[in-house]
Amino acid sequence: MKIDCGVEKIKNGIFQAERVTGKNLTLPVLNSILLIASGKSLKLRATNLSLGIEIEIPAKIEKEGTLAIPGGVLADVFSNILDTESVSLESVDGNLMVKTKRNKVKVKGQPWDDFPTIPTVSGTEFKIEAQKVIDGIKSVYYSSAVSDVKPEISSVYIYSNEDNLIFVATDSFRLAEKKIKVRGAEAMSVLIPFKNIPEILRVFGELQGEVKICFNKNQVSFSAENTYLTSRVVNGIFPDYRQIIPKESKTEAVVLKQELLGALKLSNIFSDKFNQVNLRIAPKEKIFELSSANNDVGENKTHLDAALSGEAVELSFNFKYFLDCFQSIPTDSLSIKLLGAARPIVVAPLSDPSFTYLIMPMNR
Amino acid sequence: MDTKELWKNCLSGIEADVSKANFSTWFKNTSILKEEMGVIYVGVPNEFVRDWLKNKYHKLITKTIAGAYENMRAVEYTITKAEAGRQEIPRTENNYINRELPLKDLYINPDDNLNSRYRFDSFIVGSFNELAYAAAQAIIESPGTKYNPFFVYGATGLGKTHLIQAVGNSIKEKFPGKKVHYLTLEKFATDFVNSLQNNKANSFKEKYRKYDLLIIDDIQFIGKMEKIQEELFHTFNTFHENSKQIIFSSDKHPNHIPELADRLKSRFAAGMIVDITEPEYESRLAILKVKLREMNVDLDQEVVEYVASAIQGNIRELEGSLNIIVCQYRLKNKPVSLSEAKSLLKNNLRPKKNVAIKDVVKTVSDYYNLEETTIYEKTRRKEIVKARQVVMYLLREDFSVSYPLIGQKLGGKDHTTVIHSYLKIKGDLKNDPQLLQEVEQIRILFK
Repeated sequence: MKIDCGVEKIKNGIFQAERVTGKNLTLPVLNSILLIASGKSLKLRATNLSLGIEIEIPAKIEKEGTLAIPGGVLADVFSNILDTESVSLESVDGNLMVKTKRNKVKVKGQPWDDFPTIPTVSGTEFKIEAQKVIDGIKSVYYSSAVSDVKPEISSVYIYSNEDNLIFVATDSFRLAEKKIKVRGAEAMSVLIPFKNIPEILRVFGELQGEVKICFNKNQVSFSAENTYLTSRVVNGIFPDYRQIIPKESKTEAVVLKQELLGALKLSNIFSDKFNQVNLRIAPKEKIFELSSANNDVGENKTHLDAALSGEAVELSFNFKYFLDCFQSIPTDSLSIKLLGAARPIVVAPLSDPSFTYLIMPMNR
Repeated sequence: MDTKELWKNCLSGIEADVSKANFSTWFKNTSILKEEMGVIYVGVPNEFVRDWLKNKYHKLITKTIAGAYENMRAVEYTITKAEAGRQEIPRTENNYINRELPLKDLYINPDDNLNSRYRFDSFIVGSFNELAYAAAQAIIESPGTKYNPFFVYGATGLGKTHLIQAVGNSIKEKFPGKKVHYLTLEKFATDFVNSLQNNKANSFKEKYRKYDLLIIDDIQFIGKMEKIQEELFHTFNTFHENSKQIIFSSDKHPNHIPELADRLKSRFAAGMIVDITEPEYESRLAILKVKLREMNVDLDQEVVEYVASAIQGNIRELEGSLNIIVCQYRLKNKPVSLSEAKSLLKNNLRPKKNVAIKDVVKTVSDYYNLEETTIYEKTRRKEIVKARQVVMYLLREDFSVSYPLIGQKLGGKDHTTVIHSYLKIKGDLKNDPQLLQEVEQIRILFK
């Protein structure tokens, strides 16, 4: 293999591919990025057997060839290369020579016969603006269950309903749902493993323009420009969450996001090891009060200005769950709806029905 | 053949031929799922593994399996569901303190609306539904060709939905590529109305016509919906032309669905129309036993027999009654005695059918388009005599009213006259299909 290409392009490609390489796997070659030079481009390929990525970089190919190079080493090399214009890569006895004007690097290669292929997904296909998908996933994925015990909820559920793509995640203590308007959405229903979400966000997070999504019951792929990313999907059925979203409410409050955020942070200083914060709403007395107490640290009470209606209610919740949803609420005010002390708290941006967040209160 | 044993043998062979790293990466969590006509289906955890086994190790796997199992003709790879997921989430302090959202596992597959719990394993076949069952099996053998459309009718709670969903589930398993879709007529109708509102009539048509098997439940409500009838008619034609199976269920025979267009009636009749009747005692007993096994509960034989004999008709009520007893059993943790069972069920028993004689007369006279009073009159006009005899027959046969009482109520007839009428209709029913149909239709009016 012998090629020349631009430093920036290959650098970005290597950083993205490196994130996907398999770590701590029994098959050592999975730590590597596979470099394939053929035709008019260099392909970088990496996989951890749950995610796979292939990035195509335009390059001047003098001699075609393939090499497997440990991803970590390669990424470190490229993050410290001084030159910014062009770099030449050449294979010499199974090792990789990286040459720029000022650097000359030799990296030991690995035998690549055992490097796996990356599945090409065939199934339903459609195109959508990348930022819409990214926005949908970002709005909910932090609510997924971290543990693998229940794979169905350790994932982000994406499905279509009329003109919406709907993104949902839950860990059974809270739940986030985001609806994104899409013209002519294909009938879609996939569960993407939570562990693969950060990589998907990283790879396509900055992408402007469209991404092509293709899925079947085992695999989903995202492709755009010169990047192809494929993830396994969770083979299961997401719980029937729609029936637990309360349709009515007994108490409603509208508060300013920043004020609530401040009050929550203050409460957190004095919350116990379960992050417990108490909320008291008394519409008649116009009270919206957050409080917490900790025997070792102290206690606090904060009153917030709020528009209140309905019955008085008192409950406690895990403040972390509440804090998480602030990243998905773009408006200045948010609405809180309650149905008593044992039913989910419903949080939503004020007059924006596209995002819904449920928090289960704590036993007192 | 023991597939587990076979795969274990093969794996030990393969292990010798590949490196340890490769073996543990690629062959972990694999299994032989089944063998069919010499094809071995190897289950793999995901597509990465499937691709790699296919590209890299196919020869080795084929050779090894062939060495251990001589009838092998080919090897296929199928992706299986991960084993995890059936366990409970371990209780941590956090789940103890924090309430959980009452999330329920969803049994209904959102892609095709089928409930995966409806299968033939749990479907009891008896004389009351064996024809429907046999037809369903024939459809699974070759969907779209034999009985198209397949129309099942019967009263509520007799297992129509179970049967038609089980057909859907079986076809999905047998022909993985086929697109199956189950819906109720109501859903079909709302979809249609929505598509009209949004000016998307064409996408509605496309949506339904892309399926290979369409199952529409509770079609009896179509009567008044003229536009929906028309749309269904076209959808139906498309399915039929392309030899795609379509299945309907209803609580009435198509001929008795009011205001059903003739063209639809004749289309329904072109396929197979079968009814599911009420289960007889033996089937009820069998159903109860299967339910008990599912619930993992053991009840006294005499209690089970009592439930089977006391609750007649509807299977749903049968299950409900059984649930009451099982609940009691679990609560008290001791066997339920017969007398306890009786007292538990006393509110569930339906009173014996008590129909006022006047109502029967009214229904029959309405059916034959006669004045109600004519039945009581002493007239020998042919059409009235026939109607009167049918009334007597039904009162005796279906409502077990005594001969003298029937005679008395129908204008002071002698009980021997009633016996004569009863026997006459009974005899005629055997030879006169027209009469039989009439009587059946009148019976439906009573339900």
